[in-house]
Amino acid sequence: MSLLRGAASGEQPMAGWLEGESMYADRQLVIRHTIPTNGLSFAGTIDVMNADQVAAALIAQLGEGQPLHLELSRVEFSDVSGIRAFVLAAESASERSRIVLHGLPALLQRVMTVVGWADLPGLEICSCGAE
Amino acid sequence: MEAHTPYQHEALLYRGTADFLHHAVPFIRDGLEAGEPVLVVTAQTRIGALRAELGGDAAQVEFADMARAGSNPARIIPLWRDFIDRERTNGRRLRGIGEPIWAERSPAELAECQWHESLLNLAIDPATPMWLLCPYDASALDHDVIEEAYRSHPMVTEGDHTRESGAFRGRGGSVAPFTTPLPAPPPGTRRFAFGPGDLATVRGMVAAFAAQAGLDPRRNDELVAAAHEVATNSVRHGGGRGELRWWRDDRSVICDFADGGRIHDPLVGRERPLTGSAGGRGLWLANQMCDLVQIRTMPTGTVVRVHKKL
Repeated sequence: MSLLRGAASGEQPMAGWLEGESMYADRQLVIRHTIPTNGLSFAGTIDVMNADQVAAALIAQLGEGQPLHLELSRVEFSDVSGIRAFVLAAESASERSRIVLHGLPALLQRVMTVVGWADLPGLEICSCGAE
Repeated sequence: MEAHTPYQHEALLYRGTADFLHHAVPFIRDGLEAGEPVLVVTAQTRIGALRAELGGDAAQVEFADMARAGSNPARIIPLWRDFIDRERTNGRRLRGIGEPIWAERSPAELAECQWHESLLNLAIDPATPMWLLCPYDASALDHDVIEEAYRSHPMVTEGDHTRESGAFRGRGGSVAPFTTPLPAPPPGTRRFAFGPGDLATVRGMVAAFAAQAGLDPRRNDELVAAAHEVATNSVRHGGGRGELRWWRDDRSVICDFADGGRIHDPLVGRERPLTGSAGGRGLWLANQMCDLVQIRTMPTGTVVRVHKKL
């Protein structure tokens, strides 16, 4: 297990969380559970090749009444279909749960804004995103 | 008849700034007097000249700098559609002035502006009560640009005469530029055949070439994001594979993706994505991330060529 690095300055609820067991792994991406358990850390690439599997994995992790925190500062690349995986999961989040994106690379934040996904219920972008 | 629909797409051929104002100012003032919303999208210099002539009336006019809002001509149709959605109430007419073409446009930009003009005949429903005036400076533009304006507009105003264009392609013919091949890349241009497992390699090749050409990291990331979406489209919709070619000219890095697929919607990449998860967004993203996205589709296949200025 290893400590998650906090991203840049700002609210960092995931700094100091522990990284746990692998929840999903393919040739280009590893998703690990975290401790506390309502988080996931991502390392690698999310794109058309694995976006469907990522969406399914996220939806399976959504818990009732608590947010799901995603640590994304080690995402090397995500395309639109990768971001869509987060959007799909947010769409299936119940009223009392939501998905929070931490360490979101600046390019991905811009992509989300440009394609109309920056302002969705159930999907929150933490201000601790990368510079 | 196209000439008598509520939507009027009209070319205005003018000669110099004074002549531009001679036509544009009454067009704007008549609209304001009738309570019609007016949006003017043109070069900053012409906006300044209009503001000076209109005086206090300018406050009622919406202006946008075409060099910013429409530097990539594919972003102009969404601008007009947003204006229509925002201002259209009770059937009142809207007025617009849109000048996408000026002498300093590069050949590729000019080709896309001309395709955009033709597409304006398809992108806006003929039942939309809008009078859209498209100015062309006949004293500064090549004759073939003026000839193409006659082909892409049902109505043309020159001097004090407005008449139906005898050369108009018609709504049905307006899709013609979409199926016309692009100019070939320079001789010796490098190429790379890619399949589903090669997207990371495509990204790496584009990033390396762009960096070598001097593109800064942020703009490099934007180009790579767009290139990935275009390559993904080839893999998903274009028969599972494609061919990347890449080169630069004096202004831009250029990446060209060819595949065996066919695109059926000429407005692809120009429609603002809906909220919610459904719907393609790759070519819309490419148009926001790149300075030019040229799409051509023929029975033999499709080419998408993206440009990013250095």
